[in-house]
Amino acid sequence: MLRRWLLLLLVCAHLSQASCGSPPQQPAVVLSAAPQQAQPGLDLRLPLESSSVRFAVIGDSGTGGRGQYEVAQLIEAYRKLVKFDFVIMLGDNIYGGHHSSDFRSKFEEPYKPLLDAGVKFYASLGNHDDPAQERLYKLFNMGGERYYTFKKGNVEFFVLDSNYMDPGQLAWLEQNLKKSDSNWKISYFHHPLYSDGRTHGPDLDLRIRLTPLFERYCVNVVFSGHEHVYERLKPQGSTFYFILGNSAKLMTHDFNSSEQMKKGMDTDRAFMLIEISRDRLYFQVISRAGNTLDSGMDEQLPCLPDSP
Amino acid sequence: MVLACTVAYLATLVRAQAPLNPPTQPGEDRIIQDFQARVSHYVEQRRKLAGNSPKPTTSSEKLDTAQQELARKSQVTRSQSERGDIFSPEIAAYLRRQIAATLAGPQGRRIRSSLHRAEPIQDVPLHVNQVYPQKLPLQSTPPSLLLNLPPLPKELQYRIVGRNLVLLDVTPKLIVDFVPSAIPSDKD
Repeated sequence: MLRRWLLLLLVCAHLSQASCGSPPQQPAVVLSAAPQQAQPGLDLRLPLESSSVRFAVIGDSGTGGRGQYEVAQLIEAYRKLVKFDFVIMLGDNIYGGHHSSDFRSKFEEPYKPLLDAGVKFYASLGNHDDPAQERLYKLFNMGGERYYTFKKGNVEFFVLDSNYMDPGQLAWLEQNLKKSDSNWKISYFHHPLYSDGRTHGPDLDLRIRLTPLFERYCVNVVFSGHEHVYERLKPQGSTFYFILGNSAKLMTHDFNSSEQMKKGMDTDRAFMLIEISRDRLYFQVISRAGNTLDSGMDEQLPCLPDSP
Repeated sequence: MVLACTVAYLATLVRAQAPLNPPTQPGEDRIIQDFQARVSHYVEQRRKLAGNSPKPTTSSEKLDTAQQELARKSQVTRSQSERGDIFSPEIAAYLRRQIAATLAGPQGRRIRSSLHRAEPIQDVPLHVNQVYPQKLPLQSTPPSLLLNLPPLPKELQYRIVGRNLVLLDVTPKLIVDFVPSAIPSDKD
């Protein structure tokens, strides 16, 4: 009997540690028991300035598992507070099969409250996605293309297909970056160019093709997924790099020690909130358990576009 | 008309993308032309089967059905197809040379690193005219490799599965042809 109680205590201690993740900067409401009821105590670090561009970021989200649903509930709770009206998806939006039941259980059901509230999702393609189906799936807003661009206020997004970066896509990217007159240029795609994740690591070949364009045309921020962790890296040139590949999938204890990492988290699932106002980008990363794992403000780094 | 347009499109892409390395060898122009003619013929047939370009829809069921339908039609139309129909021995040898030379070149180490880090899929049985397993991820193709391979129309992609180079018809996810062991092993 005593052994049973000891075992139970050990399991409880382990579960409580796992749900808290890495040490939070400030304790926040723990939502693991009933996330939908925790709204009043949400920890918010964004300034919510008027006329700012606000959005949420999710990556590697389409498992249909409990973790995805819990993160989704928390995103909806924050939407009511932050009033963002779009979400960017960093790929692996639908894992496994791509039948209509998969779209339902791995996207439409978990994000139903967001979809019902009119929130738009802008997807990029991961290696688990089916480009033929997802690019034509209206709720992913890809306009039938593998790569595309869209604007929100003074921010232009360049959504790439890093699975197949053929010369045509590179030429398209250069052409569209060149003609963009937006104050902020943000690119997102699945495979990270810089990463301290042990499972995958950076895609070096993709890096040598994309970074010259990002530098030449002053891309301010790059988001990627694929690595099932959260990582904020030191800026490279004038570009900030973030990885968020743990909105449903999670690879625990998956980091190599590194000089380039500014913040990393690999013990819980998470999503990200972004607010852009004038030349400032505010970010907040929130774990499934409701803890703020990282937050801050980055001023746009100086960048002098050079001629090709 | 479709065939002429496809050939013209491919020719434009060839002119627009100079290979990084290696330079074209004598006689290779003819091999590339032969390859492009085979690809154009495939795409012409394929466009007839697919009909009008599908429009975005909120119905995932429609997308799933359309994909399966196109795969079925293609399989029936090409029921006699076999390995080498597009990647003829001469073309396969050319592609192997291009890949080997690219991997031996200045980007080789980075390309290999990218291949290792892109969730490589091993042991997938490859058969011409079969649908790539729906539940398996597809490894990304390194961009430097794509720069050194003849361009393809948007319906088709080069994909790496294990060490094999696969010609994939993207919409029905159909394996059109493949070159076995096209990627030299790390030890080669």
